[in-house]
Amino acid sequence: MGIEADSRDSSLILLKQGAEARIFESSFVGRKSVVKERFSKKYRHPILDSKLTLKRLNAEARCMTKARRLGVCTPVLYAVDPVLHTLTFEYVEGPSVKDVLLEFGSRGGDREGLDDIASQIGDAIAKLHDGGLVHGDLTTSNMLLKCDTKQLVLIDFGLSFTSTLPEDKAVDLYVLERALISMHSSCGNVMDQILAAYKKSSKQWSSTLNKLAQVRQRGRKRTMVG
Amino acid sequence: MKSFNINGTTLSLALYTDVTNSKELLESMQAGTLEPEVAFLNALLIPDTFPLLAAAHKTLVAKSRDSLTTRTLHSELVYNYSGSKHITESLKRCGISDSTTYVLAARFDATADEINAMEKLINGKEVDLEELEGRANQSQIQKHYKISASELGVSSLADAITCRIAARDAL
Repeated sequence: MGIEADSRDSSLILLKQGAEARIFESSFVGRKSVVKERFSKKYRHPILDSKLTLKRLNAEARCMTKARRLGVCTPVLYAVDPVLHTLTFEYVEGPSVKDVLLEFGSRGGDREGLDDIASQIGDAIAKLHDGGLVHGDLTTSNMLLKCDTKQLVLIDFGLSFTSTLPEDKAVDLYVLERALISMHSSCGNVMDQILAAYKKSSKQWSSTLNKLAQVRQRGRKRTMVG
Repeated sequence: MKSFNINGTTLSLALYTDVTNSKELLESMQAGTLEPEVAFLNALLIPDTFPLLAAAHKTLVAKSRDSLTTRTLHSELVYNYSGSKHITESLKRCGISDSTTYVLAARFDATADEINAMEKLINGKEVDLEELEGRANQSQIQKHYKISASELGVSSLADAITCRIAARDAL
């Protein structure tokens, strides 16, 4: 009889802090993990605040696991704590796609690796969209590349929702396109490669890409005149 | 017998094959006379210890807040492992039945005496926990947890179960 797994589960190291949540590194029954804590907003009414926080916490857990069911790699969810408003999930070892692209932009290098990343991104988004899930915050910093397998992992489903509307999917792609143009224009036309892969994987590509053309002309927000 | 530490509480696990007295175990458990109290799980549904530890973690958090859904700490472990909200169905499928021969026994904070008593309770052959993966029934697991082939393309069976255990109450 031996005792396994350490008891450091409670130790937390702050990794990042955003507007909605703090991200900690921790360990969960022996595995390295990430804890995402949605903190309360003091300017909101306490009852409203806890309702909103809880709703978003549950929505994020749901969307993350739904994405996995659709065959898109996301971190394994370990625990949801509705009292502390935390999600605990797998620690994915690897750089963000943002860092990989920035590195490529400044120093050049492995073009094939870049092609593979672009096709993985298009394929993953197509799977999400065909399954009726919209990520809501597709940026290159919300995509990681696993060190060992170079597998693309999507993270941060905090703004995700379910929708089958071409409008929502097109805006999802548009947000990514804008992010790529502003951050990674030196990498060449990654977005075209992503869209080509999207077209290959998605059965509903035609209505989404038509809509994307419209969204490009008017921007992310719909004009609400009249 | 192997013990795992979960935030300061230990969980002792022992895996048995060729169990012959599951009917009696079930009866004394339902009568509440099982001494010591132990959780018996249908090991066919357990491909790895990790999802069980995640369920145990969840159980201990609920216990510390006095918010157990079922009557005892150990039945809560079986219920949490099921990833479903249907208690009767969970205990039936993830617990043992009259005819179960392959059982994983689990107890929180077991003392040496309790471990001895636990080993005496079960008539079967103890095997190493390493055997869980090889002996698990993949098609039964996929059916119970509704795991599609596309999910298994990006995930192991154990990770898919862990996600369902964790996300159950968020659904």
